[in-house]
Amino acid sequence: MNNDRIWILQARKLSGEASATELKELDHLLLLSPEAQPIITEVSIHWKELPAVDADFMEATWLAHASRMQQKGHPIQTDEPELNTDNYPLEGSVISRKFPLKKIGFVLFLAAAIISVVLLLLPTQQKPIAASALAQTEVITPKGSRTKIQLPDGSDVWLNAGTQLKYNKDFENGNREVYLSGEAFFDVVRNPAKPFVIHTSSMDVKVLGTQFNVKAYEEDLTTETSLIKGSVAVYLNVAPEKEYLLKPNQKLILNNNALANQQLMADKQPLSKMDLSPMVSIQALTYAEASETDVESSWTKNILSFEDELFPDVARKMERWYNVEIQFRNKKWEQQYLSGSFEKENLTQALKALQYSTGFKYKISGKTILIY
Amino acid sequence: MNANSAQHTEGSIAELQYQIAMYEDASAYKSLFFILFPSLQNFAFSIVKSRVLAEEIASDLMLEVWERRKKLMQIEHLKLYLLVSAKNAAVHQLKQENKQARFSIEDLQVEFVSEYSNPDQTAELHELENSIAAAVKALPPSCQLIYKLAKEERLRYKEIAQLLDLSVKTIDNQLAIALKKIATAIQSGRSEKNIR
Repeated sequence: MNNDRIWILQARKLSGEASATELKELDHLLLLSPEAQPIITEVSIHWKELPAVDADFMEATWLAHASRMQQKGHPIQTDEPELNTDNYPLEGSVISRKFPLKKIGFVLFLAAAIISVVLLLLPTQQKPIAASALAQTEVITPKGSRTKIQLPDGSDVWLNAGTQLKYNKDFENGNREVYLSGEAFFDVVRNPAKPFVIHTSSMDVKVLGTQFNVKAYEEDLTTETSLIKGSVAVYLNVAPEKEYLLKPNQKLILNNNALANQQLMADKQPLSKMDLSPMVSIQALTYAEASETDVESSWTKNILSFEDELFPDVARKMERWYNVEIQFRNKKWEQQYLSGSFEKENLTQALKALQYSTGFKYKISGKTILIY
Repeated sequence: MNANSAQHTEGSIAELQYQIAMYEDASAYKSLFFILFPSLQNFAFSIVKSRVLAEEIASDLMLEVWERRKKLMQIEHLKLYLLVSAKNAAVHQLKQENKQARFSIEDLQVEFVSEYSNPDQTAELHELENSIAAAVKALPPSCQLIYKLAKEERLRYKEIAQLLDLSVKTIDNQLAIALKKIATAIQSGRSEKNIR
């Protein structure tokens, strides 16, 4: 059809593939169908648009790559201050769980590099005012269930199992602050005039964009903020003047254990002056294979997802998901890495599926599952 | 941005390649990294669907470029060569995980918002761009990939054909399909506006 020929030629023209003859043919066809011209122009404009590269992020990516080259025995030196690996901890010491050997700390170095290039643009985060006990709204999801609520400003929040969310009456008046214990996914209505802040026991998350996940269960080893869309700034309660900016598809992980240990040792030195890098890391989000959902927020779609995670971490997720208790009776299963996702499976089906790929045995006793 | 910039980058890659091979120029290598890494990572990602793995693949390839710097001029089309290597590494990665015995070109996850692009630009898309994006997303994955390789990576038809094991005629047809879809999206966006 003549119509298609126009598009074939136009594509060739835009890609720089068209010969002089083909260009003439295209002009001729357009003369015959002048109504096509405006659309052709629009398509051309769209074709020629290219997103600008984020220079800071590229710089950070470069630093991560350079560290990796050094680690593999091929140090590269450009005219920048040399990356001192003493200040940027190597794999294993950043967060509590061990990485499989295959994953050399590429993302860990990226984390360190990003921290080093972040510009402190915003003024010091002020200490949050204690929530008034009188006029507070509280939402609690028990274990084994998830719920979605809408805040007075229209923002949507999905609460995972075992989560508590609180906000004051003056939220409606524009003081958009919530207090979170547990895990929630936020889809925040954008309002630069009224910043949205999430307080957890160890960090504050200030929202500059729209969609992100905060995982702050007190009993967990880590507190995490994962960014899907937009941007957020994270402030640690122990060092509130330091700001960590997250870009889409990044997450910040705070090691609660390391934090507690540091606090025990730090009575003489203010924590903010100490090197926080063993406690904090920024990583890329994990994307489950053959799935379009990132693992961190898959639970909002009623999918329990885990990607190369240690069994105890997976067990904790399953505990909340199914409202059960899981105990390990054999140390070797605590070193086991698992990947997978559950959507409609009940507990037994889930256990059987995991069992199939790993070989552990289990026994159900009331609400407790023993793994051995 | 026009075709000239594509040639400009092509020329840049060749120049940098020369600097690296002849003088072991580290800052030329860094510039080359800035140009090539996002392309390699995004392409690998469409196959392995994991940012972490895609980054490793891209980083390994760039590392190899430096390791083989003295003989770098032996490679004629560096970008294409690296993309082919990225594809092989990515497919190999999939096979290692036993996800697929055979890799199918329809089984891709093509991302058009690169994590290397400036978020402020892409944050506020207005309606028309949204409907164009949706139209592109609705295309078969292989068509999306061809479209991205032609539009963003500025590969020649022959190069795309070689990279994906297709014929140039297929590239012609797929791009025509993509442009038509985009045109339809623009047109329906227009008519909706007129109705209001």
